[in-house]
Parts: sequence; structure tokens; C-alpha cells
Amino acid sequence: MFYLRGCGRWVAASFTKQQFPLVRLSSDSAAPRTPHFDVIVIGGGHAGTEAATAAARCGSRTLLLTHRVDTIGQMSCNPSFGGIGKGHLMREVDALDGLCSRICDQSGVHYKVLNRRKGPAVWGLRAQIDRKLYKQNMQKEILNTPLLTVQEGAVEDLILTEPEPEHTGKCRVSGVVLVDGSTVYAESVILTTGTFLRGMIVIGLEMHPAGRLGDQPSIGLAQTLEKLGFVVGRLKTGTPPRIAKDSINFSILNKQTPDNPSVPFSFTNETVWIKPEDQLPCYLTYTNPRVDEIVLNNLHLNSHVKETTRGPRYCPSIESKVLRFPNRLHQVWLEPEGMDSDLIYPQGLSMTLPTELQEKMITCIRGLEKAKVIQPGYGVQYDYLDPRQITPSLETHLVQRLFFAGQINGTTGYEEAAAQGVIAGINASLRVSRKPPFVVSRTEGYIGVLIDDLTTLGTSEPYRMFTSRVEFRLSLRPDNADIRLTLRGYKDAGCVSQQRYERACWMKSSLEEGISVLKSIEFSSSKWKNLIPEVSISTSRSLPVRALDVLKYEEVDMDSLAKAVPEPLKKYTKCRELAERLKIEATYESVLFHQLQEIKGVQQDEALQLPKDIDYLTIRDVSLSHEVREKLHFSRPQTIGAASRIPGVTPAAIINLLRFVKTTQQRQAAMNESPKTDQCLRNADRLQERQFLLSPATLPRRTSLTDTFLTLKPTLSPGRASLKASWCISTDFTSVVTLTGAKVTTIPGLRTPVSTRPTGTVPIPKNIYSILNTYEGR
Amino acid sequence: MWRGLWTLAAQAARGPRRLCTRRSSGAAAPGSGATIFALSSGQGRCGIAVIRTSGPSSGHALRILTAARDLPPARHASLRLLSDPRSGEPLDRALVLWFPGPRSFTGEDCVEFHVHGGPAVVSGVLQALGSVPGLRPAEAGEFTRRAFANGKLNLTEVEGLADLIHAETEAQRRQALRQLDGELGHLCRGWAETLTKALAHVEAYIDFGEDDNLEEGVLEQGGSTWWGRKTPISPQRLPSLSLFACLLSPTADIEVRALEVALGAHLRDARRGQRLRSGAHVVVTGPPNAGKSSLVNLLSRKPVSIVSPEPGTTRDVLETPVDLAGFPVLLSDTAGLREGVGPVEQEGVRRARERLEQADLILAMLDASDLASPSSCNFLATVVASVGAQSPSDSSQRLLLVLNKSDLLSPEGPGPRPDLPPHLLLSCLTGEGLDGLLEALRKELAAVCGDPSTGSPLLTRARHQHHLQGCLDALSHYKPSKDLALAAEALRVARGHLTRLTGGGGTEEILDIIFRDFCVGK
Repeated sequence: MFYLRGCGRWVAASFTKQQFPLVRLSSDSAAPRTPHFDVIVIGGGHAGTEAATAAARCGSRTLLLTHRVDTIGQMSCNPSFGGIGKGHLMREVDALDGLCSRICDQSGVHYKVLNRRKGPAVWGLRAQIDRKLYKQNMQKEILNTPLLTVQEGAVEDLILTEPEPEHTGKCRVSGVVLVDGSTVYAESVILTTGTFLRGMIVIGLEMHPAGRLGDQPSIGLAQTLEKLGFVVGRLKTGTPPRIAKDSINFSILNKQTPDNPSVPFSFTNETVWIKPEDQLPCYLTYTNPRVDEIVLNNLHLNSHVKETTRGPRYCPSIESKVLRFPNRLHQVWLEPEGMDSDLIYPQGLSMTLPTELQEKMITCIRGLEKAKVIQPGYGVQYDYLDPRQITPSLETHLVQRLFFAGQINGTTGYEEAAAQGVIAGINASLRVSRKPPFVVSRTEGYIGVLIDDLTTLGTSEPYRMFTSRVEFRLSLRPDNADIRLTLRGYKDAGCVSQQRYERACWMKSSLEEGISVLKSIEFSSSKWKNLIPEVSISTSRSLPVRALDVLKYEEVDMDSLAKAVPEPLKKYTKCRELAERLKIEATYESVLFHQLQEIKGVQQDEALQLPKDIDYLTIRDVSLSHEVREKLHFSRPQTIGAASRIPGVTPAAIINLLRFVKTTQQRQAAMNESPKTDQCLRNADRLQERQFLLSPATLPRRTSLTDTFLTLKPTLSPGRASLKASWCISTDFTSVVTLTGAKVTTIPGLRTPVSTRPTGTVPIPKNIYSILNTYEGR
Repeated sequence: MWRGLWTLAAQAARGPRRLCTRRSSGAAAPGSGATIFALSSGQGRCGIAVIRTSGPSSGHALRILTAARDLPPARHASLRLLSDPRSGEPLDRALVLWFPGPRSFTGEDCVEFHVHGGPAVVSGVLQALGSVPGLRPAEAGEFTRRAFANGKLNLTEVEGLADLIHAETEAQRRQALRQLDGELGHLCRGWAETLTKALAHVEAYIDFGEDDNLEEGVLEQGGSTWWGRKTPISPQRLPSLSLFACLLSPTADIEVRALEVALGAHLRDARRGQRLRSGAHVVVTGPPNAGKSSLVNLLSRKPVSIVSPEPGTTRDVLETPVDLAGFPVLLSDTAGLREGVGPVEQEGVRRARERLEQADLILAMLDASDLASPSSCNFLATVVASVGAQSPSDSSQRLLLVLNKSDLLSPEGPGPRPDLPPHLLLSCLTGEGLDGLLEALRKELAAVCGDPSTGSPLLTRARHQHHLQGCLDALSHYKPSKDLALAAEALRVARGHLTRLTGGGGTEEILDIIFRDFCVGK
């Protein structure tokens, strides 16, 4: 790979040099040593940057490996961040001290909150971003992150070693091999390769291998992953052409102005770097029947559209829009690419027609009659790995300490990538320090919904976040992401700064205090009517009304409430954010009261962990259908809750799993306790008991007890046994009998002899035998 | 008296909450969630029926039904007058037992109502419980599952749980099939469809209205024919947003309001849908001319079905309530299963198969003298084998194989085929083997009727009532003009109730409609 010279160009922060003496690499005074890190992150996109900084924030010595340092933080598609659902993700990334929100607050050129009129639970923070500024700011941040080293280089292979016995997986990753043959060792490796795995760019009928226009794809790595046994799928996406700004006639188009005041993405920012009046506008235009005509007449020149690879239904190319919804006018937003950029990004015009046809089509559109195409639109086809092969901590089932984040998992969008990046970074670091993984539940955040959907259901098209995917949408709002995640991020992950943690704690206690104060103020409805005349409160109600209920009314906010009841409410209006958040809490209070019950139910199921090392295909002591076994085997759910969300896994299967979990727990408890409680037992007895508890005879039978239990004598053959009974206790309680031989299904009510030959008699130790003796069998 | 979700919390929030804090010491049950109720005794004639509740609102429900301020002493049977909380009408004088958690069957607060066993009383109490806020009918195996989660069952007891749940799910599915068979099912599915679509449109408007330029399609798809403009609507990201908001709402709004009216009318309808068909459902099936109708006539001791030597005599499903060995049974005679006959008989065969799905017990009839014929072999391979393949404990559907016309077999000839599954020999003509059949039937019916899980129609009706009412209440909170997230939440809750009855209800369904109906995207 031509980017690589020698063993890689090192671009390291000053901090890192103390941590990791580079000297050793170049001039080996002692024995030559390969570099060793805690965490290696491969890829410098939106997932990679977040993963690398999150790992470093958690205290791991981290290496970020990228093809080119100057593409770190590149926004390769749309020049915007956030949106509905995506804005929620950014808030959550920020709550975990991630980068993208803070950098967007320094790099935007047009800030606007979407869905302003539809309720604060679905507000979508969004901004047009200056590509250049974003990249600059991101690189500055990355290169100044303590413990983080950046190196240019393309990864060709993974170094694998023996697996750790206490975890599942067939091997463990311990480093990477670069294209030049050099090696870097690490405790954990995160892959964030985006569209680079066998990436293929398509324009018209031309195809050439590339991860992004002008960048080489990763082919060796894709082969390595396939060889390891990962299930690989293929997805496609596209990007529109870029148009010269000065060739567009904006004067005849609809103009959209930014919000005033701008709402920042990050909880730590009061405002954004740029004043609303200095921000850039966006413009709107429409396609017309001539555009349809060009698309339809040239389908034969368009291999990307015809391919079978799945593209997203919600980010369709103009070709698929025309094909699926003919005779419509489609919107085209003309978005600025940056403050001093000469380019305009026509959102809605993603296409893969041959270049000259792209120009022809664009000039049909109103306002773009003289438009010049600077860079053609193109399609990208790339490999992704079925995300059911990773755990909710984003570690792969197959290879220990290997993590995947971003588009490699079948998602689309910067925000989705960033969210996974933070989680992968945190968990890679926690894995090194042997701490339990940091998993966000569906009940805690959009990040949880995203990862749970991916890991339990997989995806067949690029996955994008929508608020409609979220069951607890009214609880998981952009305004309260800090309460939901910052505290956990500080305590469980250690990825949150002290300052941010303290701020979130203060906000949480202020909110709780404010709500309880609002609940405590009660007046009659007529008194409220007098105090706040503009509120349309019904005076017919005789019950006293709480201030919190008054705050629910649309026309009331904390200011008007504090005017009516200055004491003790005045102090809650001093901080504007607090006042606004109290209003939002009041709006949803009554519904949330009910949602809480559901959330509890889900959390209860999620608290029941399934053992990680179950082999669903061969496990004997759980009665599961073959179909269910295959499904569980593939997605490897970690909790009963996740298992119950897999389509096709029946309630009965869930109960069987539940029973298995409890049995395993009890057996383990029995194993641990026996030496303590039975001090007087002779060693031989103890050994016998231990052997018994470990023997297959103690495994639960597959089916019910209703047919037979305690009916077989070890030496006596006739009796009744259900089809799947795997063992029975003899009637004298002295042994456990495993059954083999011919078994005949009986239809109850009809006498059919069952021939069962008992074999494999296991004696029951005396102390257990005595417990059994007290059991009144059927 | 019924309070909806929102008003419950908004108005009466102080009431129940105080209640919760008072018994917070009993919060040993982890994340107890909602309170559930179910009929715990079997169906059929019984002197006393037992209805159980479990969950934090049990005590509240007990107080509401007994109109008492205080709870009866714990774990003591007390005689109380139960009355309907909505109308105040007395329901029954019943024994009630109050088991505060954790010392109860499930480990949660539990109440047992021992009421008189008549269907009117049981149905009344179930519906009264369903109307208490915070209570809902239990899902299959939910009591046991809660007991298990709270460590109230030991492992040996738990082993049968999966079977039980499987059986209950199956029984409830069949029960639901029966109930949703007629007009009610048709209505419910229609309503669920309307709601899903309305919700999809609201969700689309939330998720794509602004960010992804929901295009004019949303308005046409909504069904509002008055909006016929083909010209682009004004840009949604511009301040003239209000235009769009008020354009969308009428469509979803009109549909939701119409649904609300229909639901309300249905719930007020005194007829309450169809007649309850209680008793074990026994279906006689087999190839044509096996003697099914003869058996039905024999068992019911009256000429229910026409019997003739011509194959395909019975075409419709003939249903007759009979008393078999003391158990209430709904006996159905069905058309003989065969392919390639006229359209009328084909319809009869279709109905027969449908009825087979719903059966608790299948009486499979074959002609003993005609076992080698293709129709017999086919029947054995498809019907008998498919039910028999599941081991008896796995399948809650039971089957008895009966070989009719035993009088035609020569006494010393080779018996029926040796590879046949266990079976009974019978001659409808001579009555030979009838005693054996009745004995086998008695055993089977005892198992079917004695099992409380066999989905009592009363409970199913209470379940319908509960979810339809829940749906209606949720819809009344749908206000499209204000916070759209709240409006969507109301529709989500409403749809959740309906899909409990009809099945389905995932997010993917919504997304599929969105992407089918709207051209969204950049």
C-alpha cells in the first residue's frame, strides 16, 4: 500500500510519547520489539474516531490505524449531522462524552431543530456541517487525546492466538498485520472499516474497487474475516453528484433559514460557535417529468440499480424513487458544503447514471439549468458482517476481543456509526481491564435499541435509526440523555469526565427536586384560573390541582407558573435549561407513569442472563425445536429478554431456557456450597456427591413429570416412560437410571406396552438421597 | 368509573400511589409489573369457580369489588358481597381470600374469589376485574411464570411449566380462533388494520415529515380524496409548517374517530357478539363414508346427521351439544376429507379442516374394512400422523383413532394393519366396542375439562372486553393537534390492545407500510 512507508508514519500526541517510547521502534538499543497497545482501532471514520477516543478516555493505550491521517473525520456523504432519531443518538453519544456532538457545535453552518411542533420527545437536532471545519476540528481533537496514537497503514490480517478458556469463541485476536508485513500487538481490536470491505464504486456501467471515491478498499481483511467463518452479506448505498455553487440560480428557489437561537448538540455547550445571522441558508427545488424520462430511458446504462444487492428503502436513489413512485415530483434540497466551499450537495439526487447523463438530468431541474457537476454521484457496494454474530457489547462471538462498529455491522449514517463506536471503544477497554461489559438496554437509550435490533434481529438493508423503532420513545428523549447515560457512563464505563458527571448529577437532583416541589403545590382549579388567566383549565373539577398538572397545559411554562407562584418556583426559572426540562417532564409525566411498568417488565427479563457458552445445537437438557435452536445458535442472545425478541422463538422455548438458567444457577450454587455446609462429610462422600452433581443424571429431564416419575425400579423393565424422558429416579431412591432402548408414544387412555431398558445406573449419594426421600413422588 | 390510562395517573395519581407506598414493605416481588387475573378452575359444570389475581393492585381490586375500605384478614376465608364497580350491581356473594405477598402462590399480592360457578356470575366477576385500572387478563402461564420468577416453585415443579405454557398457549390459540371465527374476528382484524395504518401514517409524519421530506404522497395515501393537488406542497422545513400539520391530521383523525365510534358502539351492544360455545370441542373427522355421522348420531342418541351409503353426504359442519360421561361436549360432525369434488363439498372440506384446528379432541374415524384405500392412507398420513407425531405431553390437542365397521372384519382374519397407531375398534351398526370408546372418551374429556388452561370462553370474552375497552380508552387520548408524540403513543397503546387479540403488531409492520405508501428519503 503506497501510503505506508517503512513501518508506518507515526502521528502521535505529545502525551503518548511519554506513555509509549517511540524511540524503541526506530533505533532498537535492546532486543527488537513489536509495538504493543491495549486497544487497536482500525478505521478513522465516524465509528473509528469515537471508538478510539472512548477507549482512550477509559484509560487504555490506544492505536488508531487508518489509511490516511488526512481523511480522519471525513464526512463522505451528506454534509449534515443529526435529524429525527439521529439527533437522539448524538445526544446519547454526547452523554457518554463522545466527540461528534461537540465537534458539530464548532463546525456547523446551519442549525435547525426538526419536529419542533410535534412534541419534545421527537425533536430532531440537526445541522448542516462544514466538511472542512469538521475534519480539522476532529483531527485536532484526535491528535490531542491523551493515550491515543495515530498511525497510517492498511491492515491485511489479524493475529490470532489460543482462546481464553473462561470465554466463548474459537480464538482470540492479539494484534494485526499491516500490508508491509509489520505487526502490532494489542489486547483488543476494533474493526470500523465502513464501506471499505471489498468496496466497489459504481458509476453507470463502470465499476472499480474503492472504499470511497479515491480510496483503496480492504480486500485482504475481508478474506480473513470470511476464512474465520463470519457470515458476510452485501449492501449498497449511494451519494449524489456535487454541483458548483456559482452555477446555481438561487433567486428563483425556496429559501430555508436556520433557527434563532441555535440549539447546540452537546449538553456541555450553551450555544454554538456561530451566530444565527452568519449561518448559511438551504434551498429547495423539485424534480420534474423530464428527470423521470432520463432515468427510464437509460436503465440499461445503470448496473447499480439493477443489481440484487439490498439498498436502503429510506435513502433511495433518484432512480429507485422514479421506479417505485412514478409521476411524482421529488424534492431536492440544495445544501451548503461549508462556509468557504464552492460546492452544493443536492440532497435527494443520489444517482449512479453515467457522468454525462447526470449532467443532463441535473440541468433539467429548476434553478439548476446552468449547473456544473464537479464530482459525479456514485454507488458503493460493500461487504457487511451479519450483526447477529456480535454481542450487545459489540464483541464477536467467534473471535474473542475482536469488536465491530459502524457500517461493517450493516448500519447507515454517521450518527449510528458514532454510537456504535463509543460502545465498542468502551467495551474493548473494559475487556482489557477485565471488567464487565457496558451494555445499554432498550429501555435506556436509542443506542440500546440500535444495538439490540442489530444483534437479535440482524438486518437485510442498511439500518437507520427511526423514533418509531423505539418502544419507550416518550422516556428516551433528547433532553434527558445525560440523566440516562452520563451517570452510568461515569460509574460503569469510566468514559465520562468528572466535570460532565457533576453537571449531570446537579441536573438530575435539581429536576427531581423541582418535580417534587411542583407536585406539592396544590390549589383549586378556580384559583389557578385566577393566577394564570390564559390557561384553559376546567373549573368544574372539585379536586385540587397540582402545579405539575397545570404545567402540562400547552400555554403554560415555568415562567408563567413562577410569576403566579413566585415562592418557591422562582429559583427554577433561573437556569433556562432546567426550566425547559421541567416543562417537558410535566408534559409526559402521566404517560411515563404507565410506561415505567412496561420498562420494569422488560428489565426483569433482561436481568436474566443466559450462559454465554451454551451450545444450542447439541445441548441435551433443554427441550427446543430444531428451528429455535438454529435461531438461538446464530444470534446467541445474552438475556432472556433478547431471546424473546427473536422472531420464531416461542414462549414455551423461553420458559425452557429460563428453567435451564435457574437449574444451572442452582447446580453451581450447590457445588459452591457443599464443601462449606457439609464439613463433617468424609472426603469420599464429598467426592461422590460432587461427581453425582456433575453427572448427566442430575440434568433435568426434557419433558414433563406428569407421565412418569419415581416409577421405575432399576432392575425392572416394564413401566411407563414418556418419549423423551432421559432419566428417572428409582422407587427406592437409591439410584438414578438413564433410559435407553425402544420407546413407543402412547395415546393416553390406551394401554400400550412400553419397552424400556434401564441402563447407566448412577447411585445417589446418601445426603442427597435423604432429601429425596422426603419428597412425595407421584 | 373506568378511568383511562392518562386520567388515571393525572387525576387519581395520589390515590394509588399512596397505596403503593403503604405496602412498599411487601415489595419483595422484583419488578412485579401489572396485576393479572384469570379463572383458575376448570370449565364445565362446577359448583364453585375460583378466580385469582396476582400483582400489586390485587388489594385495590379486592377493595373495589367488595366496596370495602379495608382488606379482609390475610389468609382467612371471608364471605363478601361482590359488586360491579361501574354499575354497583351485585354480582355474587362469594368467599374471598387475601394473600399479601410474599407469602402467596406467586410471591406477589394475590386474591382468590370463590364464586358460584354459573357462567353469568363468572363472566360478571371477570369483566368487573377487567374494568379495574391496572388489571389485565393473564397471558398463558403467567401465574406460574411469576411464581417461578419469585422463587416460589422448586425445580421439579418447574419442569412441567414449559409443557403447561405450551398447552395453554395452544388452548388459548384455539379458543381465540373459535372466538374470532365469526363477525367479531372480522371486526377486530379490520380495526387493527385501520389502526396500524393510521399509526404508520402518524409515525411516518414524525420520522420523515421534515428530515426526509415526506412528499405529497402522505396526503393522498391517507385516503383524503379532497386533496387532489398534484403540485408540490410548500416546503415543510419552512416556517409554514402548520399548513402541513393541519393537512395531515384530518385523514388519520377521521379514521381514528370513526374507529372510536365503531368500538364504542360494539362495546355498548348488549348482544356482545356471539353465543358462548362452552364445553370441550370434539370433532369427528375421517375420509368419506367412514361412518362419522353414524358415530355422531350414536353418541348424541338422536338423528343429528343424515346417514347414507353415499360418500360425501355430510357437507356442512353439524354441531350438537351433548353430555358425554358427565362432561359438556360440543360434538361436531364434518364432511369427509377428500380432494377433487364439487365446489360445495370442497367448501365443506375446507370448513372441516378449519374446525379440526379448533378441536380439543379429535375423533379420527376410519373404515376398518377399507384401510388400504388411498383415502384412508392419505388420512392416516396427514391428520393422524401430524397430531400423533407430537408426543402426548407436547401437544395439547388429543386424538382418538377409531376403526369403524369392525363387524365387516372376519373374526379369524388378519387384524387391521400392524403398523397402525394405537386405535379402538367399533361397529356403529352393532354397537360393539362402544363401551370401550366411551371409557376412552371419559378419560380424554377428564383431561381436557379438568385443565383450567383450556381457555374458558368466559375468560376469553373478558379478555376481549378488556382489550377493546383499553383500545377505546387509549383512542380517547388521541389528540392530533397537540404533541404528536403523545398522539402516536395513544395509537400505539390502542394498537397494542387490538393486536393482543388478533396477533401481529411489530415495528417492522409499521415500517413496511411507511415505505410502501410513502416515497421518503434523501
